[in-house]
Amino acid sequence: MAAGLSSEDFTNLQLLLKAPSKDAVRDVCVQSHRAVSQRLTENTAATFSIPAAQAAQLIQSLHTLSHHVLFYNLTSPEQILAVFPESFHSSLKNLITKILLENSPAWRTEALSRQVSLPQLKELDWRVDLVTGSDSVSRMAVPTCLVQLKMEDPCPSAVGDSISTVTVELSRESLDTILDGLGRIRDQLSAVAGK
Amino acid sequence: MLHFAKDVLPDSVSADFQNLNKFNEQQYKRLIEILFQFLLDPKETDRFMRQLTEFAGEHGISAGPLRNLMKSVLLVPQGALKKNLTAEQVKQDLLTLGLNEEKAAHFSSQWGENYAALSRLAVGQTLMVNQLVDMEWKFGVTVGTSEIQKVGNVFLQLKLVVRKGNSTENVFMELTLAQFYNFLHEMERAKASMECFA
Repeated sequence: MAAGLSSEDFTNLQLLLKAPSKDAVRDVCVQSHRAVSQRLTENTAATFSIPAAQAAQLIQSLHTLSHHVLFYNLTSPEQILAVFPESFHSSLKNLITKILLENSPAWRTEALSRQVSLPQLKELDWRVDLVTGSDSVSRMAVPTCLVQLKMEDPCPSAVGDSISTVTVELSRESLDTILDGLGRIRDQLSAVAGK
Repeated sequence: MLHFAKDVLPDSVSADFQNLNKFNEQQYKRLIEILFQFLLDPKETDRFMRQLTEFAGEHGISAGPLRNLMKSVLLVPQGALKKNLTAEQVKQDLLTLGLNEEKAAHFSSQWGENYAALSRLAVGQTLMVNQLVDMEWKFGVTVGTSEIQKVGNVFLQLKLVVRKGNSTENVFMELTLAQFYNFLHEMERAKASMECFA
């Protein structure tokens, strides 16, 4: 969520100056983006030799910062640098900016793939059968199509399975109707793209 | 040896066909007309019964025995449809059952005329599993999310209505543009495959 950044956040961020290495800064930035957890707090406190309470605040502020950059799609160094107050430690500011720029594309892709959505179509398989007999007619030759759709719910409920499968049977007429509909969608999409 | 049925038929059936011979040409043709009307619209059992009752009244015969007679007669076209019999085979069976030449010929010519429509009907009643009955869709652009203020991705949402037994089930899904084009491509391939059997 894109919460605003406060001066307190920037005070917390300066705790990064206690990092043993640039890699440690990178690690905590990346991990805090995903989630703020107890384990991360403990590890950070240990790595940076700071009290757990301060580690927790640092992680929270990093999380807020990285999500702010993601939400407003700040993609240039100038845009990100402008977020920091004038008084902020210059080298640290540059390092954080660099880390945020490096990871933003991946974070954006991940956010898009996990956005609120209906179950996403993941896989589509089909087969065409020739029905040669049934209880109503002993000899026939009627083609029919079975389509299997595998969908993944990006936000599954705790109980539910995230992957669901649906198999539908289509007569030739149904398939023609579907293709008709899909064709119209394609035409409409082209019209929109053309604008 | 009958074409339309393997099992031995009850004696009453043979008696019913003998009785069918007793109707004059006009009456017989009307009964056959009623019969085929029913075969082409098998859900209209009430209408079938009503027409037989009316016929019985018009010609001073009892409705009950007439209905039973027609139920026996129905066995022939129903069996013939299952076995894809020709008009000639149907005629042979009717003669074997004791129907006279003229009446058998009339029946088999009606069979020939209506065969295509009756076949289509029978095929249409063939079991379909999870039949797709309807598809609805909408597409649009995602303009923003709680994580990203400005987005510009096209999404497509599909609702498939699937018949499950006596009721229907709705299946909702979302596709990206790439997935949509893949879906379209695959359905075109499936259609091409089906056309091989045309």
